[in-house]
Amino acid sequence: MALFGKKKGGGGGAPATRLYYASDIHGSEVLWRKFLNAGGAYEAGVLVMGGDVTGKVVVPLVEADGGFEVDLFGQKSHVSGEALEEMEQKIRSNGMYPHRMTRADVARVAALSEEQREEWFAEVMRQTFDGWLALADERLTAETRCFVMPGNDDPHGVDESIEQAGKVEACDGRVVRFGDHTMISVGYANRTPFDSPRELSEEELYARICALAEEAGEMTRCIFNLHVPPYDSQLDTAPALDDNLAVVMSGSAPKLIPVGSTAVREAIERYQPLLSLHGHVHESPGATRIGRTLAINPGSDYHTGRINGCLITLAGDTVRHQFVTG
Amino acid sequence: MSTEAPGLFTRRATGLVREGRTRDALFYNLLWSSVGLTFAFFWLFAAFYPGASALLAFLIAAALGLPGAFLYAMLTQLMPRTGGDYVFNSRALHPSVGFAGNFSYSFWLAVVIGVYTTYIASYGFGAFGRMMAGFGAGDGWLDFGDWFSTRPGLFITGTVVLLASAAIFAFGGVRLFFKIQAGAFALYLLGAIIVPVFVGLLTSHSTFVANFNEYAANLGVQDASAKLAASATELGFAPADFSFESTLRAVSIFWFIFGFIFSSNYFAGEIRLAKRTHIYSMPGAVLLAVLVLLCLVPSYTHVIGYDFSYMLGYADPAAYGFSAGAPAYPELIGIASGSPVIGAIAIIGFTIGLLTWLPQTLMLVSRNMFAWSFDHVMPAKLSYVDPRSRSPLIAIGVMLVLSIASTAIYAFTDWFSSITALLGLTLPLLVTAIAGTLLPYRHPDLVEASPYSGKVLGIPLLTAVGSLAILGFGGAVAILLWDPGSGTSLSDNSGKVFLVIGVYLAAMAIWWISRAIRRGQGVDVDLAYRELPAA
Repeated sequence: MALFGKKKGGGGGAPATRLYYASDIHGSEVLWRKFLNAGGAYEAGVLVMGGDVTGKVVVPLVEADGGFEVDLFGQKSHVSGEALEEMEQKIRSNGMYPHRMTRADVARVAALSEEQREEWFAEVMRQTFDGWLALADERLTAETRCFVMPGNDDPHGVDESIEQAGKVEACDGRVVRFGDHTMISVGYANRTPFDSPRELSEEELYARICALAEEAGEMTRCIFNLHVPPYDSQLDTAPALDDNLAVVMSGSAPKLIPVGSTAVREAIERYQPLLSLHGHVHESPGATRIGRTLAINPGSDYHTGRINGCLITLAGDTVRHQFVTG
Repeated sequence: MSTEAPGLFTRRATGLVREGRTRDALFYNLLWSSVGLTFAFFWLFAAFYPGASALLAFLIAAALGLPGAFLYAMLTQLMPRTGGDYVFNSRALHPSVGFAGNFSYSFWLAVVIGVYTTYIASYGFGAFGRMMAGFGAGDGWLDFGDWFSTRPGLFITGTVVLLASAAIFAFGGVRLFFKIQAGAFALYLLGAIIVPVFVGLLTSHSTFVANFNEYAANLGVQDASAKLAASATELGFAPADFSFESTLRAVSIFWFIFGFIFSSNYFAGEIRLAKRTHIYSMPGAVLLAVLVLLCLVPSYTHVIGYDFSYMLGYADPAAYGFSAGAPAYPELIGIASGSPVIGAIAIIGFTIGLLTWLPQTLMLVSRNMFAWSFDHVMPAKLSYVDPRSRSPLIAIGVMLVLSIASTAIYAFTDWFSSITALLGLTLPLLVTAIAGTLLPYRHPDLVEASPYSGKVLGIPLLTAVGSLAILGFGGAVAILLWDPGSGTSLSDNSGKVFLVIGVYLAAMAIWWISRAIRRGQGVDVDLAYRELPAA
C-alpha cells in the first residue's frame, strides 16, 4: 500500500455527485455568503447546511445624538453614516445581529421575561434569516440543490422561513433524494446543559431517526444528516462543564468528554448508512468509521469569518471526503 | 438560560458560556514552560556565564518574549483551531510555510524530549539515590543512584519513562492522563517551587555549607566544600564581577521559559476562550513566571550563592564526592534543609514536573500531526484515534520513536547541548511574528471584523504588536546564534545552525511533494485553505 493510500475509483462507474457540507454558522452573514458561493468554487452540485444557522447575540445600536451608541467587545463608540454601516457589518461578521433601537426599547427588552425575550430574539433573527434566503434565491443556480435544516439552537420560526424559501429546500424530518442517493435529516439534539430550543430525549431522537431510516429504505446509498454527532465517536469531544457551565479543568488542561447522542450512534450502528454528516460540537472536527459508515463533523470556527466544511464525492456506494476551510 | 452583559443581549443557546477559565489557561501556560528545568539549567551551566545576573537575564528574556505572548494571544483569538502556528502561518503566509514551521517545531520538541528523559534519569532517580546515601542510608543507595547517570542508565531510564508515558495513552487514554496530571502538577509546584523558596529564605549559606560537608562525608569525601573550591580554582574558577555581556548571553538559558509560554494556543480549537482569557493567560503567564523567578532566584542565591554554583560548574565532581555529576538545585535544596524528607519532596516534585511534560508534549505534537493529516498533507492514518482509549495512537507512536532516538542521542553522544533545540523552536516563532505583522494586509476582512481592528499611530494594531514580536524573537535568535553556551552559536556550532535551517527547508519540500502526490490522487490540497468569496 502506498504511503498516502491511493484512492480507489469505486462506485461501479456510477456518476459522481459532489456535495458540500457545512454546519453551525450561528448567524454569520459572511459564512452564509461563502456557503452560497461554495457550489461554484468547489464545483459541488449539492449544498447541505446542517443546522444552527441563527446567531446567539443581538448587539443594540442605541439612538443618540444623531447617531448610534454601541458597545462591542467592551469598546464603546458612537457611529453614524458610513461608520454605522461599517459597524453593522463588523457585528454581522462576528455572527451577531446589529439591531437599531431607542434607549426605551433597550430598557423594555431588558425587562422582558426569559420566554418573552426568546420570542423577541426569534423575531430579530427571522428578519435577518429571511434576508439570507432572499440572497440565496439570487445566488443559487438552477443546477444547484441547496438543503438547509435548523439545528438545536435555531428558534422554531426558522422552519417556516425555509419552507417558504424559493431555491433553498427544507429537509428536516423528511427524506430527500438527489442523484441516486437519499438523505434523511434531523436537526434536533439530545439534551444539553443549555436547554436550547430543539432538544429531545435519546428515546425520542432514536424513534425519529428510525422512522426516517425505514422510510428511506436502501442504506448503501443513504446519507444521515443528523445535527448531533454519535456518542463517543471522536466527533463529539467537548470540555466537561460544571454547574455554572464553566469548563472543568483536570490539572492544567480542560477535561474532555463525549457529549454526542447515544441514539444517533445506535441508529448508525443499526442501519449502517453510506455516510453520516454532523455538526453541533464545534471543537471536535474529524472523520471516523462506525462500521461501514463514514461519519463526519467539519467543526465550526464561525466567529473567525472562515467556514469549515467538507467536500464529499459520492459515486454509487462509495464516498470520499476532503475537509476545506473557505 | 439567558445571560446578559452590558451592551448586548444573549439568548439561550448551546455553548454560549462554554469557555475555559483564565486562571486555568494561565497555569497551563506556566506549567508547560518548564520553569523548574530552566532554573536547574541556569545553575548547572553557571560556569558558562561568569558574572551573569540571573535576575537581569530572565527579565531580559521575559521582555523579549512578552510581545510574542501578546501576538499569540491575538492570533489565537482570530484563528482558534487546533494546530496553533500551523494554522496562523498557513492562512497568513502560505500552507507550505505553515507546515514547515510546525513540522520544524515538532521535530525540535522531539529533540528536547531527550533532555527531559535524561534529566529525569540523572537529576531525578539518580539524585534521589545519592540523596539517600548523602543522608546516611548507605552506599547501596549511592550505587543505585549513580547507575542512572551512566550512559546505559540514562538511555534505559529515559526509554522506560517514554514507554510509560505512551502506555498512559494506549491503555488509559487521555482521561487517565488528565487524572494523573492533576495530582502531578500539585507535587511539582510544591517540590520544585514552593519548598525551594522557603528553604532558601529560611536557611543561611553557612548552614548549607556545613550540611554540604556532612552530606559529602556520607558519600566518602571529608571537607568537601574546601575540595570543591580547590578543584574549581585549579580548573579556572575565579570570583567574577557583574558582566552585562555574560548576562546577555545567559538570556539564551531563560529563553527556554519565555519563548514557549503560550502553549494554550494549541488547545484553542478544543476549548473556547474569551478574548480577555487569551490576553490574560499568555502575557499573564510571562508575568507569573517572572514573579516565580523573582522568588526563586533571590532565595536560591541567599542559601547557595553565585560563587558556590560557579565552583560546582568548574570543579571535577569526583573531587567533592559527587562522582556521577554536579547536583542540580533540588538536591542542593535538600542538602541545605538537612532533611531527607524535604530533599525527597524537592527532587520528586522536580522529577514529576519533567515526567508530566512528556505526555503533554506527546499530546501536543500529536495534535499538530492531526492537523496535517486533517488537511491531507500527511497520511490519514496519522490522525487515527483508537476508539477504546480515544488516543491518537499512531501519531503518538511516531513521536515515541523519535523521542527514543533523541534519548539515545543525549545518552550516548555529546552532539547536542541541553538547549540546542531552542534555535529550532524559535525559528517558527519568528515566522509567526512575520505572519502576524502581515495579517492585516493579507486578510483585512478577518482583522477588521475582530476586536483587534484598531490602529496605533496609523499602523494596524496587529502589525505593531507583530513588529515588536519580530524584535523579541529576532533578538532571541541573535543571542542564540551569538552565545557559545547555546549549542547553536555561529562561531562554535555552525553545523547545528545549518541543521536547523535544513529541517525547515526539508519540511517545506515535504509539503510540496505531498501536494504533488495528492494531486495525482485527485485531491487538491490547496482547497483546504483557499478562502471562499464572501461577496
